[in-house]
Amino acid sequence: MQETLRIEHLSKTFPGQAALIDVSLSVAPAEVHALVGQNGSGKSTIIKILAGYHQPDPGASAWVDGHPLQLGDGEDAQKLGLRFVHQDLGLVGMLSAVENLALSVGYRTGFARHIKWSEERRMARQALADLGVEGIDVTAPVAALPPSQRTAVAIARALVGWEDGAKLLILDEPTATLPDDDVKRLFEVIHRLKDRGVSILYVSHHLDEVFELADRVTVLRDARKVAETTVSELDHEGLIELIVGHQISHGTSSEVAVGGDAILSVRGLWGGTVEGVDLDVRPGEVVGIAGITGSGREDLLGLLAGQTPRLAGTVTIGSVEVANFDPRAAMASGVAFVPAERSVRGTIGTMSVRENLTVTDLSRHFVRGRIRRRQEITETEQWIQRLSIRTSSTEAIIGSLSGGNQQKVMFGKALRLHPEVLLLDEPTQGIDVGAKEQIHQLVDEAAGEGMATVVASTDTDELVRLCNRVVVMVDGRIAKVLTGGDILPERIEHIQLQTSRRAS
Amino acid sequence: MIRRLGFDRFSALYLWALFMLYFGITKHATFFSSTTFKLVLQENVIVGVLALAFLVPLATGTYDLAIGAQMSLSLVISSTLAQHHTVPNLLGMVIALVACGVAGAVSGFFVVKLNVNSFIATLGMSQVITAVVYHTSFQSINSPFTNSFESIGAGNFLGVQRYVWYLLVLAIILWFVLEHTPAGRFMFATGGNPEAARLAGVQTNRLVWSSLIVSGVIAGFAGVVYSWKVGDYDTTVGPGYLFPAVAAVFFGASQLKGRANVWGTMIALYALAWGIEGLQLTFINSNWVQPAFEGVALLLAVALASYQGVIRVRRAKPNATPDAPGSGGATAEAGGGGPPVVTSVASSAPGSDAEGHTGPLAVTHGADESA
Repeated sequence: MQETLRIEHLSKTFPGQAALIDVSLSVAPAEVHALVGQNGSGKSTIIKILAGYHQPDPGASAWVDGHPLQLGDGEDAQKLGLRFVHQDLGLVGMLSAVENLALSVGYRTGFARHIKWSEERRMARQALADLGVEGIDVTAPVAALPPSQRTAVAIARALVGWEDGAKLLILDEPTATLPDDDVKRLFEVIHRLKDRGVSILYVSHHLDEVFELADRVTVLRDARKVAETTVSELDHEGLIELIVGHQISHGTSSEVAVGGDAILSVRGLWGGTVEGVDLDVRPGEVVGIAGITGSGREDLLGLLAGQTPRLAGTVTIGSVEVANFDPRAAMASGVAFVPAERSVRGTIGTMSVRENLTVTDLSRHFVRGRIRRRQEITETEQWIQRLSIRTSSTEAIIGSLSGGNQQKVMFGKALRLHPEVLLLDEPTQGIDVGAKEQIHQLVDEAAGEGMATVVASTDTDELVRLCNRVVVMVDGRIAKVLTGGDILPERIEHIQLQTSRRAS
Repeated sequence: MIRRLGFDRFSALYLWALFMLYFGITKHATFFSSTTFKLVLQENVIVGVLALAFLVPLATGTYDLAIGAQMSLSLVISSTLAQHHTVPNLLGMVIALVACGVAGAVSGFFVVKLNVNSFIATLGMSQVITAVVYHTSFQSINSPFTNSFESIGAGNFLGVQRYVWYLLVLAIILWFVLEHTPAGRFMFATGGNPEAARLAGVQTNRLVWSSLIVSGVIAGFAGVVYSWKVGDYDTTVGPGYLFPAVAAVFFGASQLKGRANVWGTMIALYALAWGIEGLQLTFINSNWVQPAFEGVALLLAVALASYQGVIRVRRAKPNATPDAPGSGGATAEAGGGGPPVVTSVASSAPGSDAEGHTGPLAVTHGADESA
C-alpha cells in the first residue's frame, strides 16, 4: 500500500549544530503517527521543514502518496495535501471563526464583490460539524472562545477545502494548553478524521496521549531517529527509555556548603498552571525547577516575584511575607527576579545599558535632589567589568548588545539589589554557549555569597550544572525532588514525562 | 555624513538657521526687527505650554488628547469666577487648574483602572470636557477679564511679556524632573516597556495616572496664559492649539536625544514658528501656511529619525552574536502593547535580538556608539 508520507535521509544542519541527522519517517494511510522526543531532539525541525520554514540539507527526499514532495517548499506541501496546525494555532484572535476560515480560502462573494455572509456562516458551521463540533458561535471573535473550540477552528481551517485533497494533518502539541475535557473532545475529532481516511502526524510531550491515540510512534533523540515502532509493542517505561536514552552524566554540581534554616518558604502556592506547591530554599542553595510546558514550571517564579497574581498560598522570606502581585514589594522584601523572555519583560529597548541597569534602584544615586550621573556611570562601569559585559559604552542602547550581554545586564540589575532570594526564569534562553557558561558562573558566585537561588529551566543540562536540588513538576505539582548524585539529565527527563494529568 | 553633521539630532536647529538665513535675506527689514522677534516669542507661548502638557504623559507612553479641551475648561472657569468679584483672581486661577487636574485624574481612571487605551480615553474625555465648557459658558456672560487678572501674567519683564518667562520656568522644572530625578527616569522606563518597568519595581500605574493629572494642570495653565494674552475668551479656542503642540513634541522627540524631551520640544516649536513667520511675511494673507508647514515638517523630521534608526539596527546586526539556532529567543512577541508606535525601529529587523517593543517616540539614534 502507498504510504501517505515518506521521508528519507532528512538532515538539517544549523551553524554549529546538527538538528536532524539522516532521519526517515513514514506515515501510513489513516494512521495516527506520533512523533516524540525531548526539547531540541529535532521534532519541530521536521515540522518546520515540511511546512517550508526551513530548507533541508541536500540529499533528502520525500513523497506524499507516491508523488515526490519538494521539502522546504510550503506551497508544494499544501498542494500535495499536507495541512498544519501549529502549536500557537495561528488564528487571528480579533476575527470570528468565519473570518479565520476565510483567511485560507477567501470569501465567496456575490454582486459587486459583497461577501455572502449568511453563506459563509453556513459553510463555517458545516466545516466544524464535519469535525463533530457543534454549537460554536462562528461570529464571535475566536479569542473569546474556549481553548478546545479554538483548536477546533484551527483544525477546521487547516482542513477547509477538504475535497481539494488534504491527506495528512500535522498537529504540533495540540493539547499543550487544553484542559482535560477538551483533550477528550479533540481526540474524538482526530478519530473522526482517521475514520475518513486522513493520516495524522501527532507531536506531543504527553506520552499517555501517544498510547491512547497513536498507531505507530517515531522517537527522536539528539537529532537522530532511535525508533519507529507500533505503539502496542511498547509500554510506558519502554517509551521513556527510548526518548531519554542512557546518557552519561556530567557529574553533579559543585558541593556548596548549604546550611541553616530556609530563607524562602512557599506554602500552598496556586496560580496559573501551578496547583499547590510547597518549597523551602536555604541561603546558598541553588534549587532547580524542571518540568514540561504546562507543568507549572513556567509560572512558578512569576508567582513568587509578583509578575502574575497568586490565587492562594503564602511566600515568606525570613519572617516577612511577600506581597502578592507586586514586584516592587517583592523586591523590598529581598527578592530579585530575572524574568524569562528578556525582550518582553526584561529589557527596556529605548534605554541605554546604564538606564536599564540602574532602574531597579535609583535612590542610591539620587543625592541632594538630583540623580548624580557621574556616580551612576561609575556603578555601571563596575558592573560591566564584573560581569564582563561587551558593550561600546555605558550609554549604548541595550538593543545594540548581543542576547547574552543583554542577559548579563539583566543579571546586574538583579544582583545590585543584593537580594536574599534570586529567582532566575530561563536564565540562558536563546543565548550563545560562551555567555551561557559565564552566566552559570554568576549563579555559582551568587550562591557562594549566600543568596538562595531558584532556577526554572527547560534545559536539563543547565539544571544539572547549577543545582543542589532539582524539583521536577508535573501537572502543577511537585512530582519528585532530586538531590546530589540523583540529579542526572535522564532522571529529570524521565520523571517529567512519567506522570501526566491524564494518567489516573 | 548625515550623522557626523548631526542632521538627525539637530535637524530643527539647521532648519531654524536656514529660515533665519533665507528670510533674513528676502525679508530682512521686517524679519529681523525686534518686533517680529518679540511677536514670535510671545505668540507661541500657549502652544509651548500645551506641548509640555502633552510631553509629560507621553514620557510614560500615554497620549493625552484632552489637553486642548482642558485648556478651554480652564479659560471658562477662570473667566466665570472673575465675574464674581468676591473670588480673588488668583484663587479663581487655582480653582481652574485644580479642575483641569481633576479632569486629568478622570482620564487616568479610565486608562489605569479600566484599561482603556489612552488615545481613546482622552479623546472621549476631550468631548466630555468640551460639553462641560459649553454648558458653563452658556450660563455665564462672556465678558473680558479684569485688569488685575491680566496683570499677573501680562506686562513686560526684561523686554518681553511675563508669560514668556513663565514658559521658560515651566520648561526648566519639567526638564529637571524628567532628566534628573528617579520619577522622570521611571516615566521613560514605563514608556519604553511597561511590563519590564513594572517587574523592575517601577510603579507604572501610579506614574501614568499622575502624569495625566500633571498634564491636565499644565493644559489648564495654557488656558490661563491665553486669558492673560488675549484678555477675552472663546470656548472653541483650545482644541485648535492641539496639533501645533503635538507636532512640536513629536518633532522635538527626534532632536537632541532619542526620545521625547523638553528642550527638543522647545527648539522644534520655535524653529517651526520662525519658519511660519517668514512664510507669512512672504505670502500675505495666507492661512494655509501654518498647517501645511507644520504637517510637512513633522512628517519629514520623524521620517528622518526613523530612517536613521533603521540604519542603526542594520549596522548593529552583523556585530551581534547570533543566538543558538532553533532557540528563536523571545523576539517573536516584540511589538507588544502600548499606544501606537511612531517608529517601531528595531522590530523592522527580524531575527536580530534588538528589542522591538519601543514605546512612542522611541527614535533610536546610533550617534552614541562610535564603534
